[in-house]
Amino acid sequence: MTVPTVGIQAPNLPPKPRPSLFAIGGTLAAIAMTIVTARSVGFSFGGIVTNLGRKNSVIEGLLSPDWGQIWSRRSRAPFIETFQLAVLGTATGSLLSLPLALWSTRFGNPNPFTRGILRGFNNVIRSIPDLLWALLFVSAVGIGALPGLLALFFFSLAVTTKLTSDTLDGIDMGPIEAANATGANLSQMLRTAVVPQILPAYSSFVLYNFEINLRASAVLGLVGAGGIGNRIEFFRGRGEWEELWGLVFMFFLVVFVVERISVTLRRRLI
Amino acid sequence: MIRFEDASVTYPGGVLALRDLSIEVDAGEFVVIVGLSGAGKSTLIRAVNGLVPLTSGKLQVNGREVTELSRAGMRELRSEVGMIFQGFNLVERTTVLNNVLMGRLHRVPTWRTLLGMYPKADIDIAARALGQVEIIEKAYTRASDLSGGQRQRVGIARALAQEPSIVLADEPVASLDPPTSHVVMRYLQQISRDLGITTIVNLHFLDLATAYADRIIGLRDGMLVFDGPGSACDAQVFEDIYGRSLTADDTMHKQAAL
Repeated sequence: MTVPTVGIQAPNLPPKPRPSLFAIGGTLAAIAMTIVTARSVGFSFGGIVTNLGRKNSVIEGLLSPDWGQIWSRRSRAPFIETFQLAVLGTATGSLLSLPLALWSTRFGNPNPFTRGILRGFNNVIRSIPDLLWALLFVSAVGIGALPGLLALFFFSLAVTTKLTSDTLDGIDMGPIEAANATGANLSQMLRTAVVPQILPAYSSFVLYNFEINLRASAVLGLVGAGGIGNRIEFFRGRGEWEELWGLVFMFFLVVFVVERISVTLRRRLI
Repeated sequence: MIRFEDASVTYPGGVLALRDLSIEVDAGEFVVIVGLSGAGKSTLIRAVNGLVPLTSGKLQVNGREVTELSRAGMRELRSEVGMIFQGFNLVERTTVLNNVLMGRLHRVPTWRTLLGMYPKADIDIAARALGQVEIIEKAYTRASDLSGGQRQRVGIARALAQEPSIVLADEPVASLDPPTSHVVMRYLQQISRDLGITTIVNLHFLDLATAYADRIIGLRDGMLVFDGPGSACDAQVFEDIYGRSLTADDTMHKQAAL
């Protein structure tokens, strides 16, 4: 059934608001900045086209990758190491991130001084990218898996703390008041009134963090911090592109499978 | 026993929520506080368990001077005072039983809380509390799967699990429909009578107040304007509390019929 609208005049809408000066200015500034930066880095489509036509052993390797690398015994060990690094880095980093995120909230830490210190610490570790962590620890403790683990630990800590803090901003404050009213202490309140509220989101962040760590570990090896990246760097140094691409395909496959599993799990969590 | 002496509360920003209030509530009394929104009902109730500190005056609860309590002393006091909220304040994502066990926190060691390993004795107390509000079969249901009335009964069970000597209820039926409101009010009244628990309930419907209260306290702009039995609550008292005469909007029954 349709409601007859004939004969009913639509009321006049108030005049449409103009786009704000801020929006116009912001859009223009973004366009201008893109043009200026493209010029200053010497970007040109011509360069890409001419370079594509040249003979290039890297691209040739890509066309005939060495599939044998997938089952090669010498590649398996660094793969396992990559996995171990990702699991350990995620587990340790995200375990510590939960109290860290809780203690940087107003309700989880009534002391403004220590809260400020914790928030500052979170901001500092967040601004350091994974590769820089790896470089720092390679210089500090030497090459191998240890600097990779330390890098992933701090990187996970930063990522999970940030995501968890954002979730904590949006929780229901009612149960907190209820727990405080029963005479619970701070830890008991956080455990019973706050943690159950954020646990699904937090678990999802841990899984997501594991995905990032697995991918990051490919790069960590390039600076000598262990894992599959070491092996990639080894082939790269020798110019063995067929082997390198075989390994990269294998890595791609592993990351793809892990990501699919993780995405499915995360969808069930939230 | 609860005794306010010239108690005042001024919120940051200068809002005077309580002005020189002096009242006494004896052990086992069932008191209903009525007043408009912003009259100071919530502030009064939250002063009793120290959630809102007094700016001046004195407040004695169960022989303790609330304004002078240490942090540990405050937790000790709060463990003796159960609280029920308008929005239920349950943890939606966890079970009814876990919500009720919150009432045991003060008696359970912190490490046990962190691991979620509650002693058998405390689980028994929580189960008994759920039995008292006749919702024990929902113990392992998630709080988010309950109806409003069931949620408030879980709220009452959480307060009872504290084995309190005082229960504070802040607008416990404001989110509920009229029949459910009566169910919840009857539970509160029955518990107060059976267990001798001092009960203070905030309500904004006067008819609900007169139906259940032994004693009604009327607040207006943070000041005491009425203190007496429900039977003494006539049209004049109503005007004192609400600043105007009674209309259909002010009683739950007439409002429900609309």
